[in-house]
Amino acid sequence: MADDSLSAIIGRPTGTTVVTVERGQLVLFATAVRDDNPVYRDPRAAEAAGLPGIPAPPTYPFVMGNFGAYPELQIEDAPTGNPMAEVLGPLMAKGGIILHGEQEFTYHRPVFAGDVLVGVGTVADAYQKESKGKTMTFVVVETAWSDRDSGEAVCTSRMNIIHRL
Amino acid sequence: MADATLYFEDVTEGDEAPELAHVLTRTDLVTYAGASGDYNPMHHDEVKAMAAGQPSVFGHGMFSMGLLGTAITDYVGAGNVTRFTVRFARQTWPDEELRSKIVVTGKRKEGDAHLVDLDVRLHNAAGEEKVVGEATAAVPSRA
Repeated sequence: MADDSLSAIIGRPTGTTVVTVERGQLVLFATAVRDDNPVYRDPRAAEAAGLPGIPAPPTYPFVMGNFGAYPELQIEDAPTGNPMAEVLGPLMAKGGIILHGEQEFTYHRPVFAGDVLVGVGTVADAYQKESKGKTMTFVVVETAWSDRDSGEAVCTSRMNIIHRL
Repeated sequence: MADATLYFEDVTEGDEAPELAHVLTRTDLVTYAGASGDYNPMHHDEVKAMAAGQPSVFGHGMFSMGLLGTAITDYVGAGNVTRFTVRFARQTWPDEELRSKIVVTGKRKEGDAHLVDLDVRLHNAAGEEKVVGEATAAVPSRA
């Protein structure tokens, strides 16, 4: 793949998702990452820890778009597109594997049960390099989550996906 | 989980958080698949994983990061992490013991925030690194 077709996807939107953060889902997720902390299960424990509500475990923002993204919450005229699939689809047709290379979260405040959050995704970077005789294609997608009602920034997730052939 | 609040004044560069150690099971992978919505069969379907040339199912990278996140919040307190970044170095396999290693690399004040910087890693019993990264937490101060 030519580098210019890769760099052409930088800055393109990957979609906007509105999610409601549900308490039950946070319990399931805390259990799945083997966290038995009562702050994820009991609002009294969260309050005792100085938190205004039941928080989400730190990596929950990676998956919250998979839950609670109910149809009536979505923004109809939000930009759409799947530039990552446009780039990785043709590469996968040639073979190779997709790897999750790096993941970064920046938190402006914790995510809490009951939040309604808007996630706006953008391709932050896309590039290719040769390594040990393999062609590595990197696509970095950044999702900025903010509180739908107050507009305040909540967290930013940066995912580096690698196709290796 | 942590029994006591970690205060800024009690943290010294080089301090180590208590180790979290866990032997990865296939049940962990199924539980994480359901709780995350990641149903990639490489993480729960042994038949498909072996057909794809893998020796068995293997762990979600985000399970490793999540487990490390548990070790971090046990130390600094839930809701206190301000940044958490990792590189996924190796796959994880059922029956491997995954161990956290969290070391304080510095502490600083930024405005009103009392920040603690951490080197965070997850490795197996043989010392092979699975996840390598950094985290920052804003912890309470006695001042």
